[in-house]
Amino acid sequence: MADLTMSDSSSATEDSLFDRSFRTRWRVGFDRVVGWLLPLLFLVAILPILDLVGYISYRALPTLSFQVLTSTSLTRTDTLGVPILSTAEIMAFSTVLAVAFGLLGGVATAEFLSERAAGWVRMSANLLVGLPSVTLGYFGYFTFVLYFGWGLSFVAAVFTLAFFMTPYIFRTADLAFTSVPRHIREAAVGSGAAPHQYILRVATPIAFPQVLNGIFLAMAIGIGETAPIVLTTTLSTTLPSTLYSPVSFLTALIWENYAQSTATPAGRALVDLAFQAAFLLIVVVIALNVVVRVISHRFEKRLEGLYQ
Amino acid sequence: MNGAGPANGGAVMSVQHLGVWAGEHHILDDVTLDFAPHSLTAVVGPSGCGKTTFIRSLNRMVEVTPGLVVNGSVLYLGQNIYDRRVNPVHVRRRIGMVFQRPTVFPMTVFENAAFGLRLIHTDEEEIDRQVTGALIRAGLWDEVKDRLDRSALSLSGGQQQRLCIARALAVRPKVILLDEPTSALDPVATQRLEATMQRLKEDFVLILVTHNVGQAARVSDRIAFLHAGRLVEVGPTEEMLERPKDPLTAQFITGRSEQ
Repeated sequence: MADLTMSDSSSATEDSLFDRSFRTRWRVGFDRVVGWLLPLLFLVAILPILDLVGYISYRALPTLSFQVLTSTSLTRTDTLGVPILSTAEIMAFSTVLAVAFGLLGGVATAEFLSERAAGWVRMSANLLVGLPSVTLGYFGYFTFVLYFGWGLSFVAAVFTLAFFMTPYIFRTADLAFTSVPRHIREAAVGSGAAPHQYILRVATPIAFPQVLNGIFLAMAIGIGETAPIVLTTTLSTTLPSTLYSPVSFLTALIWENYAQSTATPAGRALVDLAFQAAFLLIVVVIALNVVVRVISHRFEKRLEGLYQ
Repeated sequence: MNGAGPANGGAVMSVQHLGVWAGEHHILDDVTLDFAPHSLTAVVGPSGCGKTTFIRSLNRMVEVTPGLVVNGSVLYLGQNIYDRRVNPVHVRRRIGMVFQRPTVFPMTVFENAAFGLRLIHTDEEEIDRQVTGALIRAGLWDEVKDRLDRSALSLSGGQQQRLCIARALAVRPKVILLDEPTSALDPVATQRLEATMQRLKEDFVLILVTHNVGQAARVSDRIAFLHAGRLVEVGPTEEMLERPKDPLTAQFITGRSEQ
């Protein structure tokens, strides 16, 4: 009897819109728990970032002034003018180099290499991204500083950092160009576009937002690197006057100053300077991310409807 | 064989013993077919019969798909487009193609229509003239003349497809290949595109691939029936519809026209 009523009720629930079975209720409950859990996990994920930004701001802001950021006085060690300009110089040169290598490599891999060769190149790029930066720093030291005989210098730092940034740009360029929709490529080729015409006139405008993303990502990562710099140049308090001069870099300055003893006022000033540099770096990295969002969003709007 | 100038009784295109292989698999087998000026030939056949491969081999688009081997020859005004000295890019500039889905580029309407021209010409006045002419011929001018500077992606599917035809027309080719151009369009847009095709056959050689016998009946002068990579039968549209010689053709045509 009991069995009979059970089967009756189950056939009734098949048509019922008010399903109160255990399984359904369990599923709804589980959904609700996960719905609460995810925001919580998100909070756990961003707490360290908030803590970091908060603490650095707390240490940096009281002593930060406009003068600290702009003074390029050579006699003072408590200003950031020289490191900021040096960092900008290194970043400018290494970004240009990395974009040249990365973009050409990415386009070549996406458009011209055979599947086999492209596979090898992509694997090498992924390997480079996964390499600890200190390993690349040593590569720069042995290659540029010693083998090429450039010494601990501006140019060695620029090339090492460029090598560090290249795979990030390469990967996004490769991905951007391979993900141009197939029917668009066929239409261009079918209209009689030669490979270079297809790349320049059709693929580049479509791939541009993604490539730009990669460039900014590489810059954000590059400007935060320490090892490739401290291993390939000696820190200087002046701007580099020749390619072979020593040079300063914000992360390298943090690396060196933070290790100072805070027992003396002079030491404390150096540690303060490290926090100010760290604060500045965070602001720059956040700014890079915001700028790239804004720019690529604007370009992506133009492509709406393309991937339907 | 490679001398310029018309051959084969004035055919603009002449396909001779064309075969396409994918490894061991024969996609097209010994197809021989001529295309006269001012004609619209519909290539019909069941799915997988090789009709898309056939039309793609007429402007060397087959070579874009890796692994396909072509033998035999395709003569364009008496010149074999598969000759080793022929650059496929130049073939595709003379033999235009329209695809199954509208394939507009993320540019303005004008730049889309001018795309093929800009690959060859640089004279703005010439480009302007040709683009206007092509848009008129494609039956799109009245709808887009006030928004030539708008993104082509804002057009409807049917308008996009006619823009693709205009893009092919603008370089003034002699031959236009249409690979199931209405398969992504609604009935009204299909009707408009069929009207456009009928107008265009006065001036061009049109080769239309379609799985729709009704469409072939409405627009074509001649039907070629492909089955399993072989050309079974070719003849004037009416004759093919009413008195097909081969039982395979009859089966396909009656089976489809009942729908």
